[in-house]
Amino acid sequence: MDFSGAFSWVNIRFLLEGLWVTVQVAGISIVLSFIIGGLIGLVRFAKIPYLSKIVGLYVEVIRNLPLLLIIFFTYFALPQIGIRFDIFWSAIVALTIFESAMLSEIIRGGLNAVPNGQMEAARSTGLSYGQGLWYILIPQGLKKMLPPIVSQFIALIKDTSLAVIIALPEVTHHAKIIYGQSTNYVLPMFVAMTLLYFLVCYALSLVAKQLELRFK
Amino acid sequence: MIEFKDVNKYYGKFQALKDINLKVEKGQVVVLIGPSGSGKSTLLRCINGLEEITSGQLLVNEADLHDKQTNLNDVRKNIGMVFQHFNLYPHKDVLNNITLAPKKILKLSQEQAEKEANELLTKVSMLDKAASFPAMLSGGQQQRVAIARSLAMHPDVMLFDEPTSALDPEMIGEVLDVMKKLAAEGMTMVVVTHEMGFAKEVADRVIFMENGVILEDSPAKTFYENPKEERAKQFLSKIINH
Ligand SMILES: Nc1ncnc2c1ncn2[C@@H]1O[C@H](COP(=O)(O)OP(=O)(O)O)[C@@H](O)[C@H]1O
Ligand SMILES: [Mg+2]
Repeated sequence: MDFSGAFSWVNIRFLLEGLWVTVQVAGISIVLSFIIGGLIGLVRFAKIPYLSKIVGLYVEVIRNLPLLLIIFFTYFALPQIGIRFDIFWSAIVALTIFESAMLSEIIRGGLNAVPNGQMEAARSTGLSYGQGLWYILIPQGLKKMLPPIVSQFIALIKDTSLAVIIALPEVTHHAKIIYGQSTNYVLPMFVAMTLLYFLVCYALSLVAKQLELRFK
Repeated sequence: MIEFKDVNKYYGKFQALKDINLKVEKGQVVVLIGPSGSGKSTLLRCINGLEEITSGQLLVNEADLHDKQTNLNDVRKNIGMVFQHFNLYPHKDVLNNITLAPKKILKLSQEQAEKEANELLTKVSMLDKAASFPAMLSGGQQQRVAIARSLAMHPDVMLFDEPTSALDPEMIGEVLDVMKKLAAEGMTMVVVTHEMGFAKEVADRVIFMENGVILEDSPAKTFYENPKEERAKQFLSKIINH
């Protein structure tokens, strides 16, 4: 078989364009889901009346749905009730909905893992609940949460490939178009995708390692 | 300074404090003893509002703790608390454990907060460990830092919940010495402890609790030499023999 044509300049460029979309969608979703997941985690940890129950229901529902369904839902069902996103933002919204629910559980768990005595000590010196969270619980919890949070971010990067079903022009989709041209390109494209996903995820885990060291 | 009037405290259906009446005057040192589960920690934690009383009245520094208008954060600024397991902040060094609250609440400058922290560390003989993290300190050292952390807010009252029971025997003395020093300076103190030597030396009164009830409230000397209550006698003989 002749693999050489697979990595023509045009194809490489096309793949990298796809990768850039993957990185953008993942990056924006990571930031949004971290903020939203963080807020949900805090609300549930602090057991804020009513609000905590409502977001708790959200988390339970979302966690028990396949991501694919949520992607379909944001792209095909939401427009029927007048909420319309383009493909790019549909993918981001769907990923954010799904990953924020996952992250909120990690963050709540991390805060719960800090011993009760920490908040009590903070309160006993006159610090407010909010100050106790900010200065005492969150820094300690974050240290415990960092590894699972990073795993979840890596899962998110990989999950962007599911958006291929709404034809998001990300790397998997572009690879598919390329190997659609010739069966000779199938194997090279899968090797290329393997490498690209690995590199992006590995880069993220390296950043996380640095962060972890900083925290110590 | 502290006054309980017919205070009751429930955890759900379980009554942990029953009709507590108790007055602690300024400058007094009161020792609280009693079997495990008798409500000593609960009583102490009500004083700084870590636990809410269910009924009755609890006055601390003229503030009515059960009144919704009372700002508990303000009340707590003036009440220090020392815990059995120290509860130092593991992610902050000794100095920052102490300066956090004064900086955030009393709005002290970094410089002023550090200056006061260093004075307190000198007082508890821990100045050389200012840059250490709690995990590097022995239990006795951690507890002395915890006392300094409480004192940094210039409290009028100090609460101690079994401050030496998690310590190795050889470290108990160094913590009790700091507490004796505080008592000698006129600090109002409520101390849950079974350290009889400490109680005899510095306590004005000993309060004996059982099942959420105050059974006896006597001057320290009277209590240890000649307790009025049969239950207190039995309890004392147990802790002495052991
Ligand atoms: N947060 C809580 N929830 C339910 N029960 C509690 C709680 N804290 C303490 N208790 C119960 O209240 C009683 C008194 O506890 P505590 O004040 O800790 O006693 P002591 O300090 O004298 O050992 C115990 O029976 C204990 O199990
Ligand atoms: Mg106790």
